[in-house]
Amino acid sequence: MILVTGASRGLGRSVAVRLANKGQEVLGLSRTCSDLPFQNVSCDVSDYAAVKAVAQDLKKGGKEITGFINAAGIASMNLALTTPPSVTQKLIQTNLMGTIYCCQLFAPLMIRRKFGSIINFSTIAVTLGLKGESIYSASKAGVEGFSRAFAREMADFNIRVNCLAPGPIKTDLLKGVRDEQIEAIVSRQVIPKIFLADDVCDLCEFLLGQQSQSISGQVLNVGGA
Amino acid sequence: MNLDSSKKIVGDCISEITDGQVVPVDDLNLIGKDACLDSMKLVELCLALEDKAAEYGFEFDWTSEAAMSRSQSLFRTLNSLSKEFYAQSQLKQ
Repeated sequence: MILVTGASRGLGRSVAVRLANKGQEVLGLSRTCSDLPFQNVSCDVSDYAAVKAVAQDLKKGGKEITGFINAAGIASMNLALTTPPSVTQKLIQTNLMGTIYCCQLFAPLMIRRKFGSIINFSTIAVTLGLKGESIYSASKAGVEGFSRAFAREMADFNIRVNCLAPGPIKTDLLKGVRDEQIEAIVSRQVIPKIFLADDVCDLCEFLLGQQSQSISGQVLNVGGA
Repeated sequence: MNLDSSKKIVGDCISEITDGQVVPVDDLNLIGKDACLDSMKLVELCLALEDKAAEYGFEFDWTSEAAMSRSQSLFRTLNSLSKEFYAQSQLKQ
């Protein structure tokens, strides 16, 4: 089984649908369950107790977890000076703490079988240092730092941990971002084009699969940075 | 379950995950200076105890705030861990 957080929309949904269509058993986690073409449970990843409850249910069910994709995330495009503390707190709590909680609580399900691949979503904004994304970038930079160290902690258990850092990809997360802003970011990528959710799905499949067994502790910037 | 059987379970788990390299005694240091287990083996021990607890009909929870915040004392020795294992068996039955 492969777990996908943030599975009700955006890239999380795209990845979960792709994997389900390829015949993988997928369990999606999201704050709001909706009509999705894969199993899903309601879970706010920023709530440690809620994540723990899901992990306990999975353990009781004896499910073999081979992959875990941490795609849950929120964005807020604002200058740091005009971002209210409540928004800052929410960004860090969901993007960084949510990732940490899920890794802490789901990795033991993989450790038992000494096999697995974890993909934590970051953003190309971390490397590019984009104006208006300082706090969002900070939360994701935390994810990258955590993932690099966590990869080393998990290596002895044959579990790989990597980050995928997409640039602008047309999802709900980009609502409210002007086209010219998107173009400005894309122009700074090594490959200056807007990639599709399908491209991210391809990379997820690669990182979950055996073909990437030599890759851990890395950040893959989609489009290059 | 009583404290002695709890010690036996924890000791057996330690022996098992270390392939018999570590002889389980009460004051065996599990963490810190002179620890008999590295951090990875400690995780394996926790998972092994989770499994044992399930056999005995309770959950051994080492990921709770309470357990984690007491980790320095909880995992100090075989004896302290056995006491926690026993205490949780009594709480959740």
